[in-house]
Amino acid sequence: MNLRPLCLVFSNLALLSTVILSGCATPPNNAQPEATEAEDFNDPFEDANRAIFDFNQVVDRNVLVPVAKAYRTVLPDAVRDSLRDFLRNLREPIIFANNALQGDFDHAGQTFARFTLNSTLGVGGLIDVAGRWGQLPYYEQDLGLTFGVWGIPEGPYLVVPVLGPSDPRDLIGQVGEGFGDPFNRLVTGNPYTLYWIPFVRGGVSGIDQRSRYIETLADIERTSLDYYATIRSLYRQRRAALIRHEKEQNLPPPASFSRNDGPVPSVKPPQAAMASEAQTISEVAR
Amino acid sequence: MRRIVLTAFVLFVGALGPAILTAAADPAAVINNLGNRALEVLGKNATPAQRVARFHELFREDFDVPGIARFVLGRYWKTATPEQQDEFTRLFEDYIAIVYSSQLSAYTGETLKVTGSRADPEGAIVASEIIRPSGAPPVKVEWHLADQHGTYKIRDVAVDGISMAVTQRSEFASVIQRNGGQVQGLIAMLREKTGSASGR
Repeated sequence: MNLRPLCLVFSNLALLSTVILSGCATPPNNAQPEATEAEDFNDPFEDANRAIFDFNQVVDRNVLVPVAKAYRTVLPDAVRDSLRDFLRNLREPIIFANNALQGDFDHAGQTFARFTLNSTLGVGGLIDVAGRWGQLPYYEQDLGLTFGVWGIPEGPYLVVPVLGPSDPRDLIGQVGEGFGDPFNRLVTGNPYTLYWIPFVRGGVSGIDQRSRYIETLADIERTSLDYYATIRSLYRQRRAALIRHEKEQNLPPPASFSRNDGPVPSVKPPQAAMASEAQTISEVAR
Repeated sequence: MRRIVLTAFVLFVGALGPAILTAAADPAAVINNLGNRALEVLGKNATPAQRVARFHELFREDFDVPGIARFVLGRYWKTATPEQQDEFTRLFEDYIAIVYSSQLSAYTGETLKVTGSRADPEGAIVASEIIRPSGAPPVKVEWHLADQHGTYKIRDVAVDGISMAVTQRSEFASVIQRNGGQVQGLIAMLREKTGSASGR
């Protein structure tokens, strides 16, 4: 639970530093049921977040979506899948590190096998040989999830310019991964010092991901009464579910689904207060 | 995400069909049967209005609509007047029918496989997977059913661990808060959304 040194490392990032630090100062969640967690907005910076969200929406509509659509139109499916597999392969060392840090050695082994197979037989990762023919599917991991598995709290919900929904835990994870990534270190270190490569990599990866959710997100936005609130809830529930899933995997195998004595999660979240009364209501951001 | 939930409604029952219809007391059968019903909603050459009407029927019969309406309004249920509660429940049902029936139209051949079920203090939880024709990894969907005097009604759908009821409640709570804590603000927005979308 020793977050402070980590916080200090990033405290000179002028942007958002106060936000991150205040997030780190948040006391750990005292074992509340997940339902309450998802119920609470956990959004003390809602006004700022909504303003950044609106800005991101402008960028999304005018830059990301048009580029993602062009990307989808111009490149054939096979080429895009190959590009995605290549970018995923670059992530495998980081995923391996996260598997290991979580004590999940089964997946660490799988990730290692994937990376080895795909980097060689898969021509530098361009073909996902391991996933397609080796029964070893890609398995996403990141440092934010590892922090979560360790029991570090998420901190307040944040919307990061361009990058979107996050929280201090995930943001620090992302920054940490950016610096720690072996591929990034290789291309930016001597003798290459190609500092633009990690940015191109991040940009292409972002466009590829966006291109796969164009209709889904448009549907959600069209049918939502409050798109911001929906995205906030989806993001937080999704991250919590992934962390829960990782923790469960490290436990002994669960009881069979058909038996009645399996672990029983609460279906109906307690009727706890949804958000603190102190939270000010704002009419400004919209 | 909602798109994925919708595809969850559309499942392939195959040989099970008629045999399962008689076994309404089995929670897994309720979910299996739901797939046939969802395909009926889509129908051949059905107009959007017909789809909305059919979804209404399905939602009312297979889901615990009053329970869900109450849940998604959360703590504001108690602050609402009985008239507001009634109107909200009605509008909520319309809203869900419009949103989900239009999205069901995006169905592209996904199939749903029930993978297990377990008892739960409320009733039962049925686990399933949506198998996608594209070969993408299956999506895990959990159906939470409430036992209401021997019949099972769906109370929540969790997609990859994301509860649709919790998401809806969080959104509605946000709308109410931003309208000065007044349920009427949410009702007005729902009126507008359902009125414009259904062409009334």
